[in-house]
Amino acid sequence: MKRSRKKKRKAIPVPIASMGDIAFLLIIFFLVCSEVSKDRSDLEVTLPLSEYVEKTKAQVVARVAVDKDGAIYFDGDMIDDPKDVEWGVRALLTNTVSDDQRHVQFKCDSALPKEIFEPVIKAIAAGGGIIEAVGERDE
Amino acid sequence: MRKRYSKEKKHRDGEIPTGSFSDIAFLLIIYFLVATTLMKVKTITADLPSGEKSEQTETDKTPIVNLNGTEIIFNDKPMSMDELQERLAALELATKEPAERIIMLESTKGTPYQNYFQALAAISANDGVVAIVEEDK
Repeated sequence: MKRSRKKKRKAIPVPIASMGDIAFLLIIFFLVCSEVSKDRSDLEVTLPLSEYVEKTKAQVVARVAVDKDGAIYFDGDMIDDPKDVEWGVRALLTNTVSDDQRHVQFKCDSALPKEIFEPVIKAIAAGGGIIEAVGERDE
Repeated sequence: MRKRYSKEKKHRDGEIPTGSFSDIAFLLIIYFLVATTLMKVKTITADLPSGEKSEQTETDKTPIVNLNGTEIIFNDKPMSMDELQERLAALELATKEPAERIIMLESTKGTPYQNYFQALAAISANDGVVAIVEEDK
């Protein structure tokens, strides 16, 4: 008789009523903290190689990309003229107070000739941006 | 008949079932964790000074890197990328004043971005300030 009583006492239910609340709080946390990426990862770009590339530490204010066909993208939107990059960067940097807020990511296909990419680089510089040129490590 | 009646009543009094809420929520969390990509791209940093064209050039004093297609010329001497890196390191630009860190970068039409990027990376890695030379029109 004593044995059977002991067995019954062991079955203690774990309180799981607040599990849903905790889980939803976690979801809200992720939603608030996550940032929607403006990077066009679907672009056909072969990145240039260099031994000096490092994981970027700076927070970029804008992303400029030039694909293998020479099409220019500013924050994911296709633009016609490199001059638009300058105005775009200039507009974004109007309220900047430090150099840390001037970083602009630049992604370009490694095979493109100077005539296509240099006006974009100059436009970023003219707009006041510090270029964060994306590349891959040359092993 | 009596039994059926009692069953209907139970349904009316029933609360919203919240037992599966935690399962749904955790499934959503797992979805976000799987679908999120933590992207950290590798870059080189180049702060190109912007300004108006200047007629006054000090090409005799300022080091100049010429990119002629895939050919690299530093101060009128053709060399490989490794040699350029050695020459730039020998300049010890980090110890100099900002105005003396300027390295001019000139390129001809058709120079691929790969070469331009490597030259830019070599100059930036040696604390140089890149000044792009405009072509005469």
